[in-house]
Amino acid sequence: MKIVEVKNLTVSYDNNIVLSNISFEIEAGSICAIIGPNGSGKTTLLKAILGLIEIKQGEIKILGKNIKQVLDKISYVPQRFSFDKTFPITVEEFMALSLAKDGSRKLIAEKLQELEMHKTKNQLLSELSGGQLQRVLIARSLLNNPKILFWDEPISGIDIGGERTFYQLAKHLNQDHKITIVLVSHELDVVYKFANQVVCLNKKLICQGLPEKVLTPDKISELYGPVSLYKHQHHT
Amino acid sequence: MALLLALLGILVILRKMSFWGDGIAHASLAGIAFGLLLAFNPLLLAIVVAIIFALLVYYLERKTTLASDAIIGVLFTALMALGIVILNFKAGYQPDLMSYLFGNILAIKTSELYIMIICTLFILYFLLRYKQQLTLITFDRESAYLAGINVNLFDLLFYICLAVAVVLGTKILGIILVSALLIIPPSIAKLMAKSFKLINVLSVIFAEVIVISGLIISYYFNLPSGAVIVLTGVVIFLALVVIKRLKFI
Repeated sequence: MKIVEVKNLTVSYDNNIVLSNISFEIEAGSICAIIGPNGSGKTTLLKAILGLIEIKQGEIKILGKNIKQVLDKISYVPQRFSFDKTFPITVEEFMALSLAKDGSRKLIAEKLQELEMHKTKNQLLSELSGGQLQRVLIARSLLNNPKILFWDEPISGIDIGGERTFYQLAKHLNQDHKITIVLVSHELDVVYKFANQVVCLNKKLICQGLPEKVLTPDKISELYGPVSLYKHQHHT
Repeated sequence: MALLLALLGILVILRKMSFWGDGIAHASLAGIAFGLLLAFNPLLLAIVVAIIFALLVYYLERKTTLASDAIIGVLFTALMALGIVILNFKAGYQPDLMSYLFGNILAIKTSELYIMIICTLFILYFLLRYKQQLTLITFDRESAYLAGINVNLFDLLFYICLAVAVVLGTKILGIILVSALLIIPPSIAKLMAKSFKLINVLSVIFAEVIVISGLIISYYFNLPSGAVIVLTGVVIFLALVVIKRLKFI
């Protein structure tokens, strides 16, 4: 079953085309990595899928419907969460803002516990480190039991230990809770460690499909430039 | 009234919209002038002008590349200028106008009191009923949109509520000083609060303390109430800044 369908998508800012005629599909239950070098349009693609930016042409369907009809079935963790650091709000209060119904401290505690962040619940959000904030954002994204998780560079700012926890959590959510995960990364490494579907972007679609089939040295070269620092690795 | 402005003020300072209060208050002079010229409830006409002002700011923010403060700057000076021109057609001393410019709690008429109570209850209901949505929009617009909240509609309603509340506040503090009650209590609360819940509670408490103590002081020393209320708030604010600073040293 196709859970995300993108057809002939073009996005431009002030007549500069950022994404040109992109078409791909994401299978339900997969872990799909959208990869490409910096400035390749990965975040733009994600925001277009989520309806956060206007698209010039094309069609996007999630669970066969328009994004506005399935907002309660998706979650999103942005690449950089910029907020007013002088805003006095605790981690628990911040999480509670995203709950459909007020309250439910138990659910918040559960999700923070999953990310090993339960001790920070009464701390101010502005006092967290980058990695801690990222974990809180991930915990928040799990509050509404989503069917699809969209993560933009989810491990940026997380240390190696946290990265391992993140991979374990992602696999757990995907395998045990049957959540489809769509994540954006500029690191090819993420695909090999983690994904079973890949969408390669560089303002246009370079390739898509099973990583071990489509990520040939030629395609990697096309994606990251002729002198790629990445070695073609086997999918594990 | 103080409670209403204190609650709105929290969102105003967090959204960095402090200039809004001044803008609306000054723009409302056009409505007051119309009311005085036509001998028809100036408060009601000031509310109408304030709502038009809010709608125009909302529209121009989305249809031009101008920043909000520039839009507000253009609109409030235009409407204030219009008010001054209209007042030119009304000869003689205007005690009513003085009460709007500088505030006079004793000059509030019964009809105005009814308008103030009804509007205050409506706005308070809106703020309390949709507190979670308004806070999420203030803090994280993308998440608010993805939570299915109609962000633009809430922005528009917030602008209208703010506009009406500021005009109501002009009866107490006057056009020139009303934004102080919108800004000072939440600013004091923000200096002290360690959670969002606390900033709400402290803001309301300080708003009430400032208004009541300001009124008492102005009564005993026979001073203008609006100005004394503002000065009381500023003294508390500065005292807290100094206390925090000393602790820090």
